Amino acid sequence: MNSSESELASQLITLLAAGMLVIQLLMVVQRMLLTSIRLFALQSLMLAGIAAIVAFFHNNAIHVYWVAGLTLIGKVFFLPWLLNRLVRRIQIDQEIAPLLNSTASMLLCGGFTLLGYIVARPFTSLERLGNNTLAIAITLLLTGFFLMFNRRKAITQVLALLTVENGVMLAAVALTSYGMPLVVELGIFFDVMVAVMVLGILVYRIRETFSSMDVSKLSQLKG
Amino acid sequence: MMLLIPILLAPAAAGLFCLLARSRPAMGLANMLAFGVTVGLGVMLLRKVIEPPYVVTEFEEFFRADSLSAWMVLLISVVSLGTSLYAGQYFRRDLAAGVVTAGRVKEFFVLTPLFATGMFLVVLANNLGVMWFALEATALSSVLLVALYNRKTSLEAAWKYVMLGSLGLALALFGTVFTYAAAVNKDSAMPSFNWSHLMSVAGQLDPRMIKLAFVFVLVGYGTKAGLAPMHTWLPDAHSEAPSPTSAMLSGVSLKVALYALLRFHILTTACLGSSFSRTMLLVFGLGSMCLAAPFILVQTNLKRLLAYSSLEHVGLICVGIGLNSPVTIFGALLHMGYHALTKPVLFFAAGNIHQSCHTLQMRLIGPGIAKLLPVTAVCMGLAAVAATGLPPFGLFFSEMTVLNGGFAAGHTFVSTVVLAALLAAFCGILYQLTRILLGVPKIVRTKDVAPSAGAPAMGLMLAALLVFSIWLPEPLLQVMKRAAGIIGGK
Repeated sequence: MNSSESELASQLITLLAAGMLVIQLLMVVQRMLLTSIRLFALQSLMLAGIAAIVAFFHNNAIHVYWVAGLTLIGKVFFLPWLLNRLVRRIQIDQEIAPLLNSTASMLLCGGFTLLGYIVARPFTSLERLGNNTLAIAITLLLTGFFLMFNRRKAITQVLALLTVENGVMLAAVALTSYGMPLVVELGIFFDVMVAVMVLGILVYRIRETFSSMDVSKLSQLKG
Repeated sequence: MMLLIPILLAPAAAGLFCLLARSRPAMGLANMLAFGVTVGLGVMLLRKVIEPPYVVTEFEEFFRADSLSAWMVLLISVVSLGTSLYAGQYFRRDLAAGVVTAGRVKEFFVLTPLFATGMFLVVLANNLGVMWFALEATALSSVLLVALYNRKTSLEAAWKYVMLGSLGLALALFGTVFTYAAAVNKDSAMPSFNWSHLMSVAGQLDPRMIKLAFVFVLVGYGTKAGLAPMHTWLPDAHSEAPSPTSAMLSGVSLKVALYALLRFHILTTACLGSSFSRTMLLVFGLGSMCLAAPFILVQTNLKRLLAYSSLEHVGLICVGIGLNSPVTIFGALLHMGYHALTKPVLFFAAGNIHQSCHTLQMRLIGPGIAKLLPVTAVCMGLAAVAATGLPPFGLFFSEMTVLNGGFAAGHTFVSTVVLAALLAAFCGILYQLTRILLGVPKIVRTKDVAPSAGAPAMGLMLAALLVFSIWLPEPLLQVMKRAAGIIGGK
């Protein structure tokens, strides 16, 4: 590809990666479960967009179209649909009930973003595509972990895990410019699908046994 | 003749068969048969990898087995076979007592061979990405096994297991991606993600990236291997799972995660040429041993006691590899094998006690299990003696080998700490178990007591332990020496 095309691709990817970060921060502050699921779908859509751009502009990366397609089908449509159904079926209330309030969470996540940039700094020369994509990937990882610990409801923890996974996929594309070999991408895709189903089964059983989805009630085992 | 693909297919086929089958004895038989076949294939593989070219590859190098993989295949298949021998009767008694439904038992017989297939894929995959998703598959198949009893506590254990496990695996995936990125050149086409390929170009990989990758992988796979301080899921999952599953988790699953970590350790050492990764292994190994010892001393729950003992053994294996002399690495591999034969016996015995006494709290169980369940008590006593590292059992030799090698190589401080932790665990386990095994039973329990329960499985594994403690066949010795050479970078 020529340099102006490459420049365009790089800018588009940076834009979409920044969008993923913004959505992650929105997930940290907002309080409704169904909105969280929609935000996750939107974030995945941006990831699929990045993959599609890579596949379009890069000469020997036809297989990245597969990644884009699978992300679109799996994470933009199927998983949000599945999680929505689960939420409706177990009829939980919508409020997310975080441990830390949104101001403190936001401040903390600002710190995580900074940390992400510091960790990624020595490696910016290795980024093949976009600017600061590795920093964003690491930030997604850190804020994903924070989301997991800051949420009491089982389903929101699942969502947090999925955003971490989005971060990994972003890192894979950013650092290699053509993602990982197709067999690995396929394997990861199916693992994620199965993981959410298994987690769904567990959430359902926890809800039935504890008549609640509050994981802070899971605290009998000690020592 | 194909070897690796049949090893993967046999348990997968058994899992599928159990999904379709209706009769429970047939399901148990299918499990036993599949793992019997894999033991046989494992022995054949073992004989093959000690002859030149020392590697078996299949399917265009997609599957690859060297001595280290062959050793792991053998461990996985032997522990799985022992588990399937024990599981049939165990669940028959559970069903009779009404603590589990027929559907759940079927779930066990379907998921266990799939769990094993995942572990076989981890050790036979050449591609590091494939290794990752195989490990994730083992986590996903075992989490429903942990939740099998559907008690409040087992759901809690399963949730912690799957959440911490997934977090760990997400970190490991980051590490895996970084490793791949280290191999990417600016102009070339997609490089191969095979471990063997990365090893051949280890000198050209980006060292900073490899370093970062190893840190992520260590924390990630270390979580799955139960290294402290990421071990918190381990005692919960091991104590709440049905005993056959506890045996698989402790006997091999931890070591399979450790195997994945070792592959990265070998690669990192080959790339950096420094002691970076082995020092990290040493630190985490020592940390796990030191943390496990006090928990063993004050433990009140029988299966949690065994789980912490596993943590300690995994720590010792890491220390052996971290010390990085040929002797200590050999000792660590030997220790893996002996521990895989010992720990399932202890969990089987704990399962029998649980079914007879309906509790795992040691003050409610004991004293006097020897009178109540003589066979179980004898097996448990022997296995406990073995697990604490007393002769004539092999764990004595492997622990001595690691300690000896440590002192000989001048790591006096490390070796002293290891010795202290081993002694603490020794006292803890023997003290706790003699209290429940010996003495006069306080209460007479007549119902639900099955005196000879699980005898074939426990007897077989103990016999194997004793035989291999005294006599190591030449091919086995060869494989371990070669595997130690691979880890040591020779």
